[in-house]
Amino acid sequence: MVRIVGRRPGKQLTPFEFVLIFFMGGVTLTPMVGNDHSITNALCTIVAIALTHFVFAWLKQFSPTFGRIVDGTPLVLLEKGHWQTETMADMQIQEEDVMALARDQGLKTFEEIEYAVLERNGDISIISVQGKS
Amino acid sequence: MSTEHAQPVPNSVHKVSDEVEVGSDLDFQRRWWRFERVWILFLIMVVLDALGFFGRGWPAKAHRWSRDGTMRVKYERIERYRRPSVLTVEFGPNAIHDGKVRLWVSETLVTPLSNQRIVPQPASSVIGQAGILYTFPATTNPASVEFAMEPSSVGVYPLSLRIPGGGTNDENHRHALEI
Repeated sequence: MVRIVGRRPGKQLTPFEFVLIFFMGGVTLTPMVGNDHSITNALCTIVAIALTHFVFAWLKQFSPTFGRIVDGTPLVLLEKGHWQTETMADMQIQEEDVMALARDQGLKTFEEIEYAVLERNGDISIISVQGKS
Repeated sequence: MSTEHAQPVPNSVHKVSDEVEVGSDLDFQRRWWRFERVWILFLIMVVLDALGFFGRGWPAKAHRWSRDGTMRVKYERIERYRRPSVLTVEFGPNAIHDGKVRLWVSETLVTPLSNQRIVPQPASSVIGQAGILYTFPATTNPASVEFAMEPSSVGVYPLSLRIPGGGTNDENHRHALEI
């Protein structure tokens, strides 16, 4: 069913898609462990969720505004030595979180980071001064 | 690579400092942050639930006496859909006649309140007059009966209880309760 619904790399999954996939797993369990042992019900529920995912993906393709509402937009956290404090406060991200990811990419100091971007899937991308040039 | 299904597109992705294509939209995000304040409603909902405003708490619990004091009913104002709840009827000395207590309950008890169990079991139950007439054996006070319900529908449902006395309408009214 997941294969039919669409192909998307795991790291590209947005929080909304994560919820859909876990939800699909949850309703799959219902006919196995719940009081409702109906395969028909389970199949219809799973198909309904898959269809929702498909419709949402289709709408996102045609309406950027809808995509922004469902998945949000990337947000700049650090720009050329300046922390974007408003964004960081509202997204509840600390400087230490960004620095930890920078170290993960082999960057040693704050000065080596040119940009830090909070992506739609929740990852933080680090663009180094060296990497940009 | 075939270009049959490919076409050049104008680059509309927003750039930061005119050099990094991020596609951020801070104006939209600011509007979204304002919208996110809706979580305060969620907090209020959780607090109300913890206090019991959606059932199972002190605001939901209630009890009422009939006008002449022959019967008291303890119940929950707010029941939860398909979750068990107990309605207790306590009888005063005037309710017991010849070692029996008779109690008429409106048919709301069966549908939609879905009565599952009565403790103690009635000696008899008779259907009629838009309700059920139960007869319970009783010897001494305090006497009480419990109805274990599991509502099968969502909505506001009045429940009537009455101890049939066979007297005048006014007398019957004094032995009755509407909840």
